[in-house]
Amino acid sequence: MASSKRSAFGKDGGLQTRMVFTMFMLGLLYAALIGALLATSTSVLLIVVIAVGLLSVQIVGSDKIALRTLGAHEVSASDEPQLHEIIERLCIQADLPKPKIAVIEARMPNACALGRSQKSATICATRGLLNLGLEPAELEGVLAHEVTHVINRDVMVMTIASFFATIAALIIRFAFFFGGGFGGGGRDEGAEAIELVILVSVLVYAISFVLLRALSRYREFAADRGSAVLTGRPSALASALIKISGTIDRIPRNDLRTAEGMSAFFIIPARAKNSLMNVFADHPPLEKRLAALQRLEAQLQGTGR
Amino acid sequence: MGLRDILTGRSSVKQPATHERLFALSTAYVTLETSYDITSAGVAGIVVQSLATSDFQSVLKDTEEVVKATAGDSGATVQTTDDEFGFRWVIVRTPAVEDLVVAINGVSSSIEGGGYGERLLCAVFSFKGAEGAPINFIYNYKRGSWYPFVPAAGDKQRNTERELQLKAQIGGELPIEPELERWFPLWGVPF
Repeated sequence: MASSKRSAFGKDGGLQTRMVFTMFMLGLLYAALIGALLATSTSVLLIVVIAVGLLSVQIVGSDKIALRTLGAHEVSASDEPQLHEIIERLCIQADLPKPKIAVIEARMPNACALGRSQKSATICATRGLLNLGLEPAELEGVLAHEVTHVINRDVMVMTIASFFATIAALIIRFAFFFGGGFGGGGRDEGAEAIELVILVSVLVYAISFVLLRALSRYREFAADRGSAVLTGRPSALASALIKISGTIDRIPRNDLRTAEGMSAFFIIPARAKNSLMNVFADHPPLEKRLAALQRLEAQLQGTGR
Repeated sequence: MGLRDILTGRSSVKQPATHERLFALSTAYVTLETSYDITSAGVAGIVVQSLATSDFQSVLKDTEEVVKATAGDSGATVQTTDDEFGFRWVIVRTPAVEDLVVAINGVSSSIEGGGYGERLLCAVFSFKGAEGAPINFIYNYKRGSWYPFVPAAGDKQRNTERELQLKAQIGGELPIEPELERWFPLWGVPF
């Protein structure tokens, strides 16, 4: 069909390549861990069983736990009409069922998307975001970013991607508890195998930490891009990001205590201060996000590549 | 959306579904009018996401001109307005529901022809019940399905009971959206 040929936005092949590469590296890493686990015939199986149980709990219950941790409460259409109306229109455009909408009573302006599937999704905005005085189009851009997280099932993808990293962390923790038992005694083959597993676990954990953060950053770029595609207004999101990050920097950190652990799910990380170690950041730096949005606006206006 | 799209976080906006279902309203209206005493308010509007690019604006302008020219023959009037969320409404007024459907389809076809089909959101057709209360039927372009939207007294309240009754009454003739969580309200309809 002629109409579908002329899409306003090109494809971002580079971003997708980096994302697939990161996932491939994670897969490789996890294969090494599984290999090491299989090499030992001991109670490692027990750890795996525990981890699988944890994962299911995480997948089923994480949204509720997260909502409670964040102090989010669901709001009705009469409580927050504008929020509902913007999200409803985004849902029509994105062809999504309507998610739950919640507000977090915090001064820090931010938004996040939770939920393992499109049907069980919740989109949260903080009171600070709603009171920031953003233009409707800017708020729409921020919410479209969160809607894109729902479309891309980012919570699910990140939970599964970090599954084996969680196992590795568990093994390391077990090793600490039973450290004496492993180190002392006779140096038989079983003990050596377990030492190997612990060594591999430490490596897997350390490397996967960096890879997962990279994956998270790529998902953020993808969500920014999705927001631009969904609303057709990349510059509105850029403007909103500038306003939000400007406010976050000025607000003392005490407010963020509860939010820090949840940082990956927010539109702007709880600690936005320019961290020196960008490899450990779960969000890309603001300048890079703005530059990417600027490229999209140029494509849209027909002045870009 | 396939697994690959999920893994790579690729986004694209869905193109509109087939147009046939829009025309289902013309025949369904006969039943609405004769069996349920629901009459047309003689007005319908289409909601389009407005892009701030010169290309899109010129497609919109052409669309309005074409529809104005063709609508003029049947005595219909066309006007456009922007709402607070930056969406463009193209509003058509003419007594016959058939003409409304044709005019709205003219707008969407022209926008699709310009290459912006994915920016079409929905079309709203206004009716009046026997009590004179407003009833809207909304056509979702992405899904190609209809749903009733009946505002109730009070701030942003909707009469869900009436909406469900309407579904039962007309569901056989009008393709109604099966998932209730996709019956998105549209407040502040500018007509």
